[in-house]
Amino acid sequence: MTTEAAAAAPAAQTSTRSIRIWDWPVRLVHWSIVALIAGMYLTAENSEWGWHMRLGHVLLALLIFRVIWGFVGTETARFGSFVKGPGAVLGYLRGAYDYRRNKGHSPLAALSVLALLGLMFAQVGMGLFAGDPYDGATGPLNPLVGVMTADTITETHEWFYWVIFAFIALHITAVGVIGAMQATNLIGPMIGGTGEKAVEVEANQPTPWGRALGALAVSAGIAFWVYLGAPPLT
Amino acid sequence: MTGKTSFRLIAITPAIALLAACGGEAGDSATQPAGDPPAEIEQRHDNFEEIGDSFKAIRAQLESGDPDMAVIQASATDIHERAGRLDGYFPEGSGRDAGWDTEALATIWEQPEEFEAAKAKLLEESEMMMTVAADGDAAAIGEQAKALGGACKNCHDTFRLDDD
Repeated sequence: MTTEAAAAAPAAQTSTRSIRIWDWPVRLVHWSIVALIAGMYLTAENSEWGWHMRLGHVLLALLIFRVIWGFVGTETARFGSFVKGPGAVLGYLRGAYDYRRNKGHSPLAALSVLALLGLMFAQVGMGLFAGDPYDGATGPLNPLVGVMTADTITETHEWFYWVIFAFIALHITAVGVIGAMQATNLIGPMIGGTGEKAVEVEANQPTPWGRALGALAVSAGIAFWVYLGAPPLT
Repeated sequence: MTGKTSFRLIAITPAIALLAACGGEAGDSATQPAGDPPAEIEQRHDNFEEIGDSFKAIRAQLESGDPDMAVIQASATDIHERAGRLDGYFPEGSGRDAGWDTEALATIWEQPEEFEAAKAKLLEESEMMMTVAADGDAAAIGEQAKALGGACKNCHDTFRLDDD
């Protein structure tokens, strides 16, 4: 493994310091989603549909927030700063990415972010249309689709969580394997917000709370509007 | 962060998280009582699923704007025939209170007269659906679909685990 040795050797010699990497909203959203995914699974398993739907709308609000924050958040939160082309991903896979000299999502991690956000959006979106008005709970947008469409959506919603669980397992495994291979603490910064980086790496901006609250108000407003059945659509 | 300890910690934390997640799944069945669940639980579940599918087939035809009366008639007959099977599907001790994985509430056995009335209502409304389906008047079928759906909901509200 020559690429590993080449990447590890200069890292060991680099002088580092602790800098801000992840802002508060990114971390709060990340760990809230962890808790909400567990909650969504448990409420579904126990037929607690009222709570399943309430938590689902909180998740919807967080997903919308994360997308907005991907445009107005701090540097490491912005899609524009971390979503790279296939060239950068190939470069990463060849070992050209140095964790000590870069902060935020790697080009490969960016794909993981997009995949997880996309899959969760799909699953929450299906839940909004799921159910049958004569047979228990229905998502708030159920009246917008026909009975057979709703049936297909409901059945897909019922197995699709395995796809999300598979990607979560891949995400956790990747964090463990890459963290170990690079001897980099990937988990600590997602909790505390700071991590060791080479001295020349600039710290991420502090959390702009005003903008965060604005984005939260917009995303919570949209999610609540959907919860009410997206009037006047239904 | 230096030293082998933190290195190992980084590597092992996600592995533990994964194991914990898998372990949680295995624990689910521990809440059920010993022995096989009564066969009626699965039988009635499948029977209700089929009733639901037939009812959806009727509503899908109504939504289409050009309903296929043959499909509606066959579905109405299927629902009525399956409604007649419910009597044998609820033996004592096959409810949620007995610990089984079912949404059948104890009220089924606590209020037997009301439960009988709810079953009779389903038989009655499904028979009426057969009658209006034979006439082939889409508007009347649409009205009867609401009544039939009401018979489903009526029973779910009282005798099936609350949905919200």
